[in-house]
Amino acid sequence: MGDDADGPVDEKVGPLGPSIEDESSDDQGVSRRKLLAGSVGIMGGAIAAGIGVPAVFYVAGPSQEQQVAQEWVRLGSVTSVDSAEPTLMKATIERRAGYLTTTEEFSVFVTTENGTDFVALSNVCTHLGCRVRWVEEQSGFFCPCHNAVFNRDGSVATGPPPRPLDSFETKVEDGQIFIKGV
Amino acid sequence: MATKLGDWMDDRTGWRTHHATIFLRKIPKINWSYTLGSATLFTMFIQIVTGILLTLYYVPEPQQAYASVSYITNELPFGWLIRGLHHWGASAMVLLVVLHMVRVIIYGAYKYPREFTWITGVALLLLTFAFGFTGYLLPWDQRAYWATVVGTQIGEVTPVVGDTLRAVMLGGEEISGLTLTRFYGAHVWVLPSLLLLLVGIHIFLVIRNGITSVPKRGE
Repeated sequence: MGDDADGPVDEKVGPLGPSIEDESSDDQGVSRRKLLAGSVGIMGGAIAAGIGVPAVFYVAGPSQEQQVAQEWVRLGSVTSVDSAEPTLMKATIERRAGYLTTTEEFSVFVTTENGTDFVALSNVCTHLGCRVRWVEEQSGFFCPCHNAVFNRDGSVATGPPPRPLDSFETKVEDGQIFIKGV
Repeated sequence: MATKLGDWMDDRTGWRTHHATIFLRKIPKINWSYTLGSATLFTMFIQIVTGILLTLYYVPEPQQAYASVSYITNELPFGWLIRGLHHWGASAMVLLVVLHMVRVIIYGAYKYPREFTWITGVALLLLTFAFGFTGYLLPWDQRAYWATVVGTQIGEVTPVVGDTLRAVMLGGEEISGLTLTRFYGAHVWVLPSLLLLLVGIHIFLVIRNGITSVPKRGE
């Protein structure tokens, strides 16, 4: 590209443009060339920002969306909870990822001492995510993967789990139990 | 500091010479119609940037294509802007590339020594149309579907190979998910590769041969 002077030159193309060295007129301040170059730079920057800034919001968009459609999820009637042992209750939630909605089934252990106050515990072991089950003889939640046992209140009795079973905020409305924060 | 870095780089790349060759080349006395090529190039960059952004969300699959476009347009922040720029940029690029060609024809700029530049330019014009045609199907709405029906039926009237041509374009006898994926593949991989290659050659030739002056009376 550097030797374009050697290429076939159309007769009509003379060196009519201002030469590169011809920047002698800048003793009164900014030369015409510099002003134009600066203007082009500013316009280019404005256009780049005009697309670039919206693009950042566009790319980050889904990370700001709420993925679970409903805040409170209904588990079932209060009468279905056994006060003697934790009751496994199933529910489905809708999870949104962009324009796709998937339904997800999940289970929660609900315990109650008096039939009015309820505690909802996740059935997912906090060690490696296996599902725990209630074992009456041990009076605890047993995880089959590494023999971990959680107490009735969710605290770790034995085994490798680093923290108690996750619990959910509960509320009772019209005889139905709801949990929050799935 | 900046000059020092520039010197260091220039010593190893010769960028100052290249910069001068590309941006500080001498040109004859010309008019605004000579900016149409650069304007086309600019819209091409807009199309590349917005097109890449659209691929982050668009899914070329019959069940999801329309839903993903709708999600981009109606729900994502500034999705309407990104898609709108790509949509209108496509029309602008076709318009500009045609006007650019008209200017070249009127001023006779396709003559010696610029015949090869002209040939690459014609190929670029056809590529731009191919971009428009393949991109039109991707929103997967009624307009897209029927435009593709009509477009491929036009291809079908080609003598001898018409039927085969249409079947190859559609990936079968009818428009299907196969049509959508091959139009998408063409739109984002095949055509851009060819376009960038040819634009590179086209611009190299413009710089190497210089641009034409406006013809005088009697020429």
